[in-house]
Amino acid sequence: MRNDLPLKHPMRKPHTMPPNHLLRKFPRCWKFFVCSSVAAVCLTTARSETTVEIVHYFTVPGQIQGLEDIQKDFEGANPDIKIKFTYIPFNELLSRTMQMAAVHKPPAISCIDNPDVRHVAKSGVLKDISASVAKFPTWQDTYPGPKASVTEGTKVYGVPIGSNSLALFYNKKMLTDAGVTDPPKTWDELKEVAAKLTKPPVYGLALSAPNDEQSTWQFEPFLWSNGGSLLDLTAAPAKEALQLWVDLLKSGSVSKDCVNWSQPEEGDQFIGGQAAMMVMGPWMLGQVHKSGIDFGVAPMPVPKEGMKPVVPLGGECWCVLKGDPKVEEASLKFIEFVQDSARLEKLCNTFNYISSVRSVAVKQGQANPELQPFVLQMDTARARPEEGGAFYTEVSLAARTAIQQAITGQATVDAALASAAAKIKTLAAKK
Amino acid sequence: MKQLEATRTRVSLVPPVEPRPLPHRKAAWWRALAPYSFILPIVVFTLLLLAYPMLYSLTLSFRDATVDTFVSGDMPFNGFANYQQTLSTGTFWQALVNTIIFTFCSILFQFTIGFLLALFFQNRFPLKNVLIALLLVPWIAPVLTAAYTFKGLFNEVGPVNQLAHWFGIPGLPWLALPGFALAGTIVANIWIGFPFNFILLYSGICGIPQEIYEAARIDGAGYWRRVSYITLPILKPVTVAVLMLGTIYTVKVFDLVWIMTGGGPANTSHLLSTYAYQVGFSLLNFGQAAAIATVIVLLILSLNLFQLLLQRK
Repeated sequence: MRNDLPLKHPMRKPHTMPPNHLLRKFPRCWKFFVCSSVAAVCLTTARSETTVEIVHYFTVPGQIQGLEDIQKDFEGANPDIKIKFTYIPFNELLSRTMQMAAVHKPPAISCIDNPDVRHVAKSGVLKDISASVAKFPTWQDTYPGPKASVTEGTKVYGVPIGSNSLALFYNKKMLTDAGVTDPPKTWDELKEVAAKLTKPPVYGLALSAPNDEQSTWQFEPFLWSNGGSLLDLTAAPAKEALQLWVDLLKSGSVSKDCVNWSQPEEGDQFIGGQAAMMVMGPWMLGQVHKSGIDFGVAPMPVPKEGMKPVVPLGGECWCVLKGDPKVEEASLKFIEFVQDSARLEKLCNTFNYISSVRSVAVKQGQANPELQPFVLQMDTARARPEEGGAFYTEVSLAARTAIQQAITGQATVDAALASAAAKIKTLAAKK
Repeated sequence: MKQLEATRTRVSLVPPVEPRPLPHRKAAWWRALAPYSFILPIVVFTLLLLAYPMLYSLTLSFRDATVDTFVSGDMPFNGFANYQQTLSTGTFWQALVNTIIFTFCSILFQFTIGFLLALFFQNRFPLKNVLIALLLVPWIAPVLTAAYTFKGLFNEVGPVNQLAHWFGIPGLPWLALPGFALAGTIVANIWIGFPFNFILLYSGICGIPQEIYEAARIDGAGYWRRVSYITLPILKPVTVAVLMLGTIYTVKVFDLVWIMTGGGPANTSHLLSTYAYQVGFSLLNFGQAAAIATVIVLLILSLNLFQLLLQRK
C-alpha cells in the first residue's frame, strides 16, 4: 500500500504524511480494493482448472493412443478440467494407489484391474459412485459379469473401461495341413486336434501357466465351463478340468515350458509358428495381425457339445478415489463422457477390448469377426472375484500352486487339488 | 620461543610473520566441532537413507500391515504374528533352503571358475587383454538379458536340449521341472557372477611379486605347490572380500529368478527375495513381507559373520 500511494498521488511525497494519514485515507479508496479483490477472485475461479490425475499401467501403443484421443476430446468439451495420465508399472499400480491415498494425495482415478477393485474398495479409499452410474444410460446395458466385478452389495466402486477374456486362436494353414477343417469345439476334439497338430518342433496348443495370476486365469475357462469353482476344488468338475491340462501336457501337445510362459511369451510361440493354437485374449489380436499369420479365433472349447463356455473377465475399471469433492465431480464427468456409445466403441476398438456394454459390444462383433467369439462369450463371462471376493488373490495363489504341481508331475491331480482346497478352506475360516 | 624468534629475526630474509592472534573462545568451540561437521553429511545420509528404511522395515514386520490397515494408517502392532505366520508356511522354508543352496552353489562355482581363470591369465599370451575384456561381458550385460537368454537356452526345444539330443540324451524341460528349475537359475547366476570373482582375484594375483615365485622355484616347488603355498595365502584378504561381497550379491538375487521361473513351478524355485516380493506385492501383506526381509538381512549377517570367523582361524 505504501508503494501505491506515491503512484496514485505523484505530487505528494509520502514522508510528508503524518503516520495516521494512511488510515484516514483508507475510506476513500476502499471501493477500489473491494472491486479489485472481487475481480481477482472471479478471475482465478474462472481460470482455475481442476486436474484429474488418472493412474494406469497401459503400455500398448493402441491403448495409449486411445487414452490420448479421449483426453483431447474431453478437454475440448470441458476447458476447465485437465486430464493428466500417469503411468505406473503393472505390479506397482495397487501399492502406489494405496500409498498416494494414505498420504492424502490420492489420484483422481485409478485404472484398477477388475479382480482387484473389490479388494481395494475394502480398504475404503474408493468412492461409492452408485448414485452417479445409475444415471448413465449404458449402466443398465452393462453385462452382468463386469457389473459384478465392481459391485459390493448396493455399492458400486468403478466403471469398466472394457472387458477382455480368453478364446482359442488357431493357425488356419496348420489346421488345413493336418486335415482339420474346423477348430475344436469340445474337450475331446481339443485333445484330438492338438495331438494331430503336434509336429516337433511345433506344439498343437499353447497355454500360459506361470507362477502368477495368469495360470489361474487361463485355467478358469476350463474349470468354469465344466461347472466347477475355485472354492470347490475337490469336486469332479475341477478334477476333470485339471486332468485335461495334465493330459495335454503329458501327451506332448502342449510344451512343458508353459509353466514359465507369461501370456506375451505364449503369444510369441504362436506368432513364431511354434504353436498351432493358443488360448489367448483379444489384446493380442494386433500383434498376431502384424505377424501376417493367417489365423482365426474360435470360442473356448467346452466339455461336451451344447454346453456354454464360461470365461473369466479381464480389463480395467475407472475407479474414483475419495478426495477433493471438486475433483471427484470432475472425475465422474470424465467417466460419463467416455460412456457415450460412439466414444466407447472407438476406445474399445483401439484398446482391442470388448465393451462391457452390450449394445456397443454387439456392434464391435458385427464389425470384426475376430472379436465375435469374445462378444458371444460375454453373456456367460464371470468376474473373477465372484469366487473368494476380496480374497480372490489368495484363493488364486492356492489354486495356481495346485495347477503347477499337477502339470509338472509333482503331485497327482487329486492330491494337488486336495491340498489347495484345504488351504482355501483355512482362508475362508480365517476371514 | 624467544630464542627461536630471535634467530628468525636475525637470519630470515622474509619479513617476520605477524604472530597469530590468540585462539578466541569462539574459535575453540569451532575447532572442537569442526571434525563433526565434516562427518555430518555421511551421518545424515546414513540415518536418512539406510537406518531409517531398515528400522521402518523392522517395525513394519511387527505390525499388521495389509492393504486395509496400510491406508487407514493405524497398522496395529501384532507382536510376532507375522513371523509366526511366515515360519508356519511351507513355501518359506522351501525358499530358505533354496536361497542357501542357490548361494552356496553359485559362490562355489563362481569362485572356483574365477580363480582358475585368474591363474590361467597369470601367463603371458597373445590377445590376453582382449580375452579379459570379453570375459567381463557377463558381468556387464544386464541381468534381464541374461535371464531371458538362459530361459531360451533351457527351453524344451532350446539349444541345450538340441545339444543333449546329439549325444543321445533325451531332452528335458529344464525350467519346468521342480527339481531342475533351481539348478537352471544357479547355472545362469554362475555365468553372471564368475567375471566378478575372476577380475578381483586376477588383480590380486597381479600384485604378487614374481621374486617369491622364483625363489620357490629355485627351492624346487612345483606349480600346484606354488599355488597353494604362495598364491592362496597372499590372496587371502582378497578372497575374503570376494566371498563376502559375492554372498551379499547372491542372497539378494531377485530379478534373475523372477524372470526365469517366477518362483515356480509350484513355488519350488522361490528364493527368499522372490517370496517376499510375492507376499508383499501380490498378496499385499506388507507386514509379513517385512518379516521375510528381516530374515534375509539376518541370513546375510550370519553368513558374513561365519566367514569372518573362518577367516580368523
